[in-house]
Amino acid sequence: MATKVPVSDPARDRHQLQTLILAITILSMVLLAVFFAVMFAAWLNQFGFLHFPLGFYLLAQGLLIFIVAAGFWFIRVQERIDLARSESEGLG
Amino acid sequence: MVVPSRLRTPNPHLGAYYGIVTAAFVSLIVVLAMFEQLGWGESLLAQTMMLVPLALFLLIAIGARTTQATDFFASGRRVPAVYNGFVLAAVAVGGVGFLAYIGTLYFLGFDALAIGLGWTFGIFAAGVLFVPYLRKAGSYTVPSFLGHRFRSRSLRMAASAMQLAPTALLLVAELKIAALIAAFFLPVSFSLGVLLIAALIAAFAILGGMRSLTWTGSAEFLVGAVGLAVVVTTIAILLSNAPAPQLTYGAMFPALQNAEITAGITPLNPGEIAAALPGTAPSPAAKPFLQSFGILGSFDFATLFLCLALGTAALPSLLVRSGVTSSLAEQRRSSAWALLFVAAFVITAPAMAVFAKLIIFRDLALAPSSALPGWLAELSANKLLQTGDANGDGTIGAAELFIGRDGVTLALPSAAGLPYVLTVLMGTAALAVALAAAAAHLFTLGASLAEDLYRVLDRHETLPRIVAAWAAIAATALAAVVFLVIADLDPLKTALLAFAFAGATFFPTLLLAIWWPRCTKWGALAALGAGFAMMLIEVLFGGALGLGLTGLTIPLASLIGAVVALGAGVGVSLYISAPSKMVDDYREVMRDPGGDTIYDRAQMRAAATAAATAAAAEAGP
Repeated sequence: MATKVPVSDPARDRHQLQTLILAITILSMVLLAVFFAVMFAAWLNQFGFLHFPLGFYLLAQGLLIFIVAAGFWFIRVQERIDLARSESEGLG
Repeated sequence: MVVPSRLRTPNPHLGAYYGIVTAAFVSLIVVLAMFEQLGWGESLLAQTMMLVPLALFLLIAIGARTTQATDFFASGRRVPAVYNGFVLAAVAVGGVGFLAYIGTLYFLGFDALAIGLGWTFGIFAAGVLFVPYLRKAGSYTVPSFLGHRFRSRSLRMAASAMQLAPTALLLVAELKIAALIAAFFLPVSFSLGVLLIAALIAAFAILGGMRSLTWTGSAEFLVGAVGLAVVVTTIAILLSNAPAPQLTYGAMFPALQNAEITAGITPLNPGEIAAALPGTAPSPAAKPFLQSFGILGSFDFATLFLCLALGTAALPSLLVRSGVTSSLAEQRRSSAWALLFVAAFVITAPAMAVFAKLIIFRDLALAPSSALPGWLAELSANKLLQTGDANGDGTIGAAELFIGRDGVTLALPSAAGLPYVLTVLMGTAALAVALAAAAAHLFTLGASLAEDLYRVLDRHETLPRIVAAWAAIAATALAAVVFLVIADLDPLKTALLAFAFAGATFFPTLLLAIWWPRCTKWGALAALGAGFAMMLIEVLFGGALGLGLTGLTIPLASLIGAVVALGAGVGVSLYISAPSKMVDDYREVMRDPGGDTIYDRAQMRAAATAAATAAAAEAGP
C-alpha cells in the first residue's frame, strides 16, 4: 500500500463513527420491525388494512416498502456524511 | 503496455437500446397472441416465443464481447446504477425465485413470506455493510478482495475454495430450473436442455465476461419483468377489474378461505407435515393460505428469514458485481435499485399464489368430478397437475389435487383461461431470469477459479489471464452439466443450502474484514473455516446439532455457523498479533469514500512503472 494514512485524522474518525452509527441504527431498526411483525403477526391479523389482515400485510408488503424506503434514505444520509468528510478534508 | 483509462463514461444510448429491446419483446407477445388466434399451433408459438429472446440475448453477448481485463471482470466500471440494479435483482431472484418461491407460497401461504423477506433484507444489508467498501477496493472477485485486504495468498485461495459451495449449488439449481422450462416448452429432453442452456450461459460468460453478463442480464431482467407484469396484471383485471394485483388480492381472501374450506383444507400445526418445505414431486396443498405459522413455527420463520438474509447479503455472485459502476456513490445507488426491483417481485409473488389457489379451488369446489373445468384437462395433459376422485365422493377435494411446486406459476395462465401464449410468456420470463442468474453464478465461479486459484498457484502465468478465465468457465459449465445429468436435486432446497453456506462462511468474514480494524488474516481464515465446517457437519450429519424443531435445520445450522465463525474470527484475531501497518492502511483507504479505486490505482502504478522501465530500456545505456 503506497498511500500514507495519517495515524490521527479527526475528519476520518468522525466519518467512520457516523457511518458505523448509521449502519447499526438502520439495520437494527429494520430488524426490530421484522421481529416485531413476526412475533405479533397472529395478534395483528385480527386488524385489517386495505382488505388484508395486518400481520400478513406487514410481512408481505409493509415491511418490504419500509426496507426500500430505508434503503433510499440510507443513501441520502450516507452521502451527506461522505460529503462532510470530503469538505473537511478539502479545507484541511 | 497500455495504461488503463480512468474515464468511466456510460453509453448515452443505453436507454434507447433497452427501450427497443423491451418494445421488441412486447411486439413479439402481441404478434404471437394474434397468430394464436389465427391458428398457430402450441409448439410453434412456444418455440418462437422462447427462441427469439434467446437469440437476442446471444446477439447482445456477441456485441459486448471483450478481451480487456477491466471489461471482462468489471464491465469497464461504467455500468449505470439502474442497469446494475436490473442484473442484481435478476440474480437474487433467479429462476428459483420465479418458479419455486411462488410455488412455495401456494403450498405454505403465510409461512413462505420468510423467504422473500429474507432476500429483500439481504440485498439491503449488503448495500449498507459490504457493497460500498468492495467498490472502493475494486477487486474482481470476493476472494481476491479478502486476499488484497489481508495481503494473503492463502486466504485468497481458501476463500475461493469455500466460494465453490454457494456458487456451484446455485449454478446447478438455476441450470436445472432453466433446463426444466426448456424441456417443457421446446422439443428437447431434460439432458439436452441442460447441455444447451449450459452452452448458452458459458457463451455469454466467455464472450465478454462481466460485460456481456451485464448487458444480457439487463435484457433478461426486462424480459422477466415484462412477462411477469403482463400475465399477473391480466389475471388481476379478470379477477378484480383492477390492474393492480398487489393491492387487490387482499379483497379475495374471503373467497379463497371459502374455497379452501369447501376443498377440505383445515388449519395445521407445526410438525404435522414431515417436510417443512414442499418438494418437486406433485403434492396436495394442505395448509390454509392465511394461517400464520401452520407449518413453520415463528422460530423457524425467523431462522429461515435470517439465514436467507445473511446468505443474500454475502452471496459472492451478487457481491462480485460491486465493482462495475463508475463510482462508490453510484454503486450504493445500484444496490438501492436492486432492492426496489427485488421488493417489487416479492410483493407481487403472493398475489400470484393467491390467484392460482383461488382459481383452482374455486372452480373445483363448484364442479362435480364428472364435469371438471376444461383447464384441468389441459394442465393434466401438460403434466402440470394430477387429479382424480380417489375417495369417490363425486367431487375433487384438496387432497386429490396434486400439483408440482415449480409448475404452479406455469399453470396459472391456463387455469385463468388465458391464451396459451401467456403460458409460454410466463415460461420465457422465468427462463430469462434463470439464465441471468445461472450465467452470473457460472462467471463468479469460473472467474474465481482462474483469478484466485490458478493465477495464485501458477506464478509464471502459463495461460494468459482471460484464457485462464475462459478455460475455468468452460470446465465449470461442463462439470455442472455432468452433475445435473447424473444427480437429481430439488432447486429450492439446493438454493437454500447455498444461501446457508454463504451466510455461515462469507457473512461473518466480510463483516469482520470490513468493519473490525483488529481483524487479521488468521482471524478471517478462522471465520471462513469455522462457518464452513459447521455447514459441512450439517450437510453430513444433519439435525442442526439436535436443535432443529421441524425438520428445517439448514437455516438454523447456518445461523449457528455464522455465530461460531464470528467468535472464531474475533478470538483468533485477538490471540494473534495485531494487523500490520500495511493491512491497516489498506483498510483505512478502503473506508475512505473519496479517491480512486484501490485496485485500479495499483494497476495504473504497475502499468506506469512497466512503461517507464520499457522506455529506459529503449533509451539504452
